[in-house]
Amino acid sequence: MSFNFNGVEIDDTFAEGFTMWGSRIIVTAINKKWANIAAQNMTGFATSVIACDCEAGIEREVPSESTPDHRSGTAIMVFGFSKGKLSGSMLNRIGQCILTCPTTAIFNGIPRAESDEMLDVGKSLRLFGDGYQVKMRMNDGLGERVRFWRIPVMQGEFLTEELYGAKKAVAGGNFLIMGEEERSTLEAAEKAVEAIHTVPMVITPFPGGLCRSGSKVGSKYAFLKASTNTPFCPTIKHTFKRSNAPEKVNSIIEIVLNGLDESSVKRAMGFGIKAAVEAGGVKKITAVNFGGKLGKFKFGLKESLEAT
Amino acid sequence: MPIEAENITPDIIASKQMSEIERLAVYKGNRQHNLSELFEISGDIANEAGGQVIMVEGNTALVKYIGSSMSSGKIIVEGNAGMHLGSKMTGGEIQVKGSVDDWAGAEMSGGCIRVNENAGNRLGSAYRGSPEGMTGGLIVVDGKAGQECGALLRRGMIVIRGAVAPFAGVHMNGGQIFAFGQVSKRLGASAKGNGGFIACFGGVEQMLPTYIYDSTYKPNFMRMYLQQLSENLGVKEAAKFMDTPFERFSGDLACGGNNEIFVASY
Repeated sequence: MSFNFNGVEIDDTFAEGFTMWGSRIIVTAINKKWANIAAQNMTGFATSVIACDCEAGIEREVPSESTPDHRSGTAIMVFGFSKGKLSGSMLNRIGQCILTCPTTAIFNGIPRAESDEMLDVGKSLRLFGDGYQVKMRMNDGLGERVRFWRIPVMQGEFLTEELYGAKKAVAGGNFLIMGEEERSTLEAAEKAVEAIHTVPMVITPFPGGLCRSGSKVGSKYAFLKASTNTPFCPTIKHTFKRSNAPEKVNSIIEIVLNGLDESSVKRAMGFGIKAAVEAGGVKKITAVNFGGKLGKFKFGLKESLEAT
Repeated sequence: MPIEAENITPDIIASKQMSEIERLAVYKGNRQHNLSELFEISGDIANEAGGQVIMVEGNTALVKYIGSSMSSGKIIVEGNAGMHLGSKMTGGEIQVKGSVDDWAGAEMSGGCIRVNENAGNRLGSAYRGSPEGMTGGLIVVDGKAGQECGALLRRGMIVIRGAVAPFAGVHMNGGQIFAFGQVSKRLGASAKGNGGFIACFGGVEQMLPTYIYDSTYKPNFMRMYLQQLSENLGVKEAAKFMDTPFERFSGDLACGGNNEIFVASY
């Protein structure tokens, strides 16, 4: 079953999302360049929990007037399968990639009221100060008190909030863009990622937001837990008997989305599909699911488009 | 003759009948009076303290304990206020359009006091014999502050826009003091630290020899406080120090403390 959307065939299917714990961090630095360097480093090697400790990505750049210390900022989102794993990944990545990066500071990106849990990442990180860390409180007499830690470092001082909000979030939103040739398919996918990032609280953890090597569960090799998504590999569409790659399709790119809530992921998928279709050169769009066995969230492609 | 009027708080006045309010006890010297014998009382009474606003007008410079132990609501004093204003308060807001006498905000743990003119001695401090002074909340004084401001300060923030008399932050063990006027001698004497600091923007008359100079740098955290002072508390002069380097002093070594004093470096 499929339907037509602006001349492009869209499978009437759904992407299957599942629950992960998500957190959001705002990194600030002396300028946009260093905020982005820190963010890029922290979100490196965090595309998929198939082989990474977490999934992470840059959500957006935050203008200086909107950051707590009024410096240039970048918002990062990190996702893990449990609170413990998420907290551990955040601690390691902040410690190795942000603490080390010149001029940075970090702040919680999910207010306590909107969080399911507060992770004491900053409280652990403070121990790097070797006893010379200094605690600091803000908002006395003005509102909810917030605690920070100031850690002396060689360049000056590193500032971190003590607690970081985390909540049960949604991972696994996806859709596949199928095109006739590589360049136009890539351009359509790029447009889709741009559109997705207009929706707050959503990330696309793969390189540039795109995954050109989607995987299936298992392999003919017993020691591999995932292998290439053979039904969607156009180069073997006639060799592989159960291929799902249409006749005129020679390039397929997958976009995977994680978000803090179901509606954001659904809307972002809708915006992404729309943008890909409008870019031209796309033959078909579909999504990956496991018949509802993987997770409780079903993002119908039709419903996603309607949500926009 | 001073008047002790600790019943002038939203917590006590809210939800009462006017007749009950008129009979609230106040002391003039050692004699008890009804509130209505010393004050003209009028206006609306809120059902809850949080919605109660109390306006205090007239010559109230000798009226003590206004807003003492209040937890919510608001008090506006049109003129000056006597000693112990807002002492031990836990929440709510007090605005004094004139000056306040000694012990304002003593041992307060929450809420906000705003003084449009000057404050007396022992602002936000501990009472004699008590181990902790202010443990939370915020005091902003638009003018000068007297001696031993923030003595035994534990948590909370005190902002003085004018000059600060000697012994500011004596024995402090946490909390923050922001001084935009010149700060007199012996600031931070016997301060232990525990995350506490004194930020001086208008110079320091003399630093204690038991504070050691560490470094001159632009602390990022200071930007956050200055932003808050400028945007949320109307301390406009704070904005101009956003990118100012500060000299960091650490002490008081006389008591093994790690309190910090930041002095704006021009």
